[in-house]
Amino acid sequence: MDEIGFSPFLAYALVIIGFYVISIYLFSKTEFAEYLYGLISLSFISKLSDKRRNDFLKTIFSVKGYKKLRTIENLILALPFLIFLLYNQSFLVSMILTFLSILMSLFNFNNNFNYTIPTPFSHKPFEFPTGFRKTFYIFPCAYFLTYQSIHVENFNLGAFSILLIAGVVLSYYSKPENEFFVWSFSLSPKAFLMNKIKIGFLYFTLLNLPVLISLIIFFPNETATLIVFLLLSYFYIITIILAKYSAYPNEINLPEILIIGISLMFPPILLVIIPYFYTKSIKHLNLVLEND
Amino acid sequence: MIKIENLSKHYGNKQVLKDINISFEKGNVYGIVGENGSGKTTLFRCIAELENYKGEITSDVEQLKNHLGLLFTDPFFFTRITGKEYIQLLLNARKVKISNIETKNIFDLPLNQYASTYSTGMKKKLALTAILLQENNFFILDEPFNGVDIHSNIIITEIIKKLKELGKTIIISSHIFSTLAETCDEIHLLKNGEFIKKVVEQDFNKLENEMKEFSTENVIAKLELK
Repeated sequence: MDEIGFSPFLAYALVIIGFYVISIYLFSKTEFAEYLYGLISLSFISKLSDKRRNDFLKTIFSVKGYKKLRTIENLILALPFLIFLLYNQSFLVSMILTFLSILMSLFNFNNNFNYTIPTPFSHKPFEFPTGFRKTFYIFPCAYFLTYQSIHVENFNLGAFSILLIAGVVLSYYSKPENEFFVWSFSLSPKAFLMNKIKIGFLYFTLLNLPVLISLIIFFPNETATLIVFLLLSYFYIITIILAKYSAYPNEINLPEILIIGISLMFPPILLVIIPYFYTKSIKHLNLVLEND
Repeated sequence: MIKIENLSKHYGNKQVLKDINISFEKGNVYGIVGENGSGKTTLFRCIAELENYKGEITSDVEQLKNHLGLLFTDPFFFTRITGKEYIQLLLNARKVKISNIETKNIFDLPLNQYASTYSTGMKKKLALTAILLQENNFFILDEPFNGVDIHSNIIITEIIKKLKELGKTIIISSHIFSTLAETCDEIHLLKNGEFIKKVVEQDFNKLENEMKEFSTENVIAKLELK
């Protein structure tokens, strides 16, 4: 934010507003929002249970101090979700979330466990194999939502599962890879970006196939809407890939996030954003690939 | 062939490489030795076009980086990628197709495990396997013997000899003099960003003795060990 001349406090305000808007949107779209909300909250809290992080904390705090710290930080992270759940009168879910937040402070998870989660994406590493292994539990949830949408004849719920998968796939492009993994490619920046987009489209479609086929069969009248959702998802995949490399080798920063945020509210602006990110990406990739 | 002319590199005010001039010919193995911070890794990064620099680096291929196998001292790995996927990624990057990667696993690595869980030596062996399978013509191996077990050290030495036979150009940096003496045609001594000495095969023993004297003389005495 400093780089673009705004106070960093503006970022905090935007995060709060963004959280509120997304929460309102989620609760207006599905009756299962409170459960999803609880799961999202717990997935954030679980990040604090990383074994290496906790081993380090244990070396600096006393046993009592460590337990106190872990409970407090889990509750702080759960607090915004709890406030919104209480506001929506979801008392049972908020109670369960509070209990699980405290319970999770007692356990540590080793993220580097040796079991290799199989993926269908091994032929084209790295975004999808690594991303899928981090988020594999979300896909059964998305497919369950599709099943529920058919069961309760609520198309919106099915459409939401497409968006959920799209959101997860977009997260695979959030971090820049080490320069070696770009440098290694004997491709021009343009060909490199096209290759990334092609793989993104292919594997996103593969992950969405069960949802799409089910929804087309059970909601044939909504096929046009489904195509629009799918096309929009493709556009956002292009956008996130280009945004990532437009900032490369740095991480996507607030200016890029703001631009993407604006496009979420007004998708036609993507037609301007995509060429803008594309030009910047080519410029940044030329420094590593130097083929153009 | 790689030809380096008047190569200089600065990081801010600090000059890391000073007017380097050297040629690396086809079918030869070159050793680069020098203390930590002498500029070896920066030189390698410049050759790979991973750094901006002053001077000129030319080769007999159109785009050197596309024919260059680069082994870093400390190769980087993603957290949830298997050894096999790591190799596949680097093969895809150079459009090389190998149907059965397992048959090329000369170091017996657990290719279906996450590479980030490998030991230092295993990581190095995996990274080396990947760049060997890329069918490169040039190799820069930064500390290839570090952290690697004795058996694998012997295999790596034999691989370097085989690459030389195949007419590849190989540049190695190592702190283990015996491995350089066994594989190199020439050893160049880099100090404070400058090549101060070039030694050919016949004089390797002399260089080793000189280096030992240079390294140990008056240094250990400073500790006043009791």
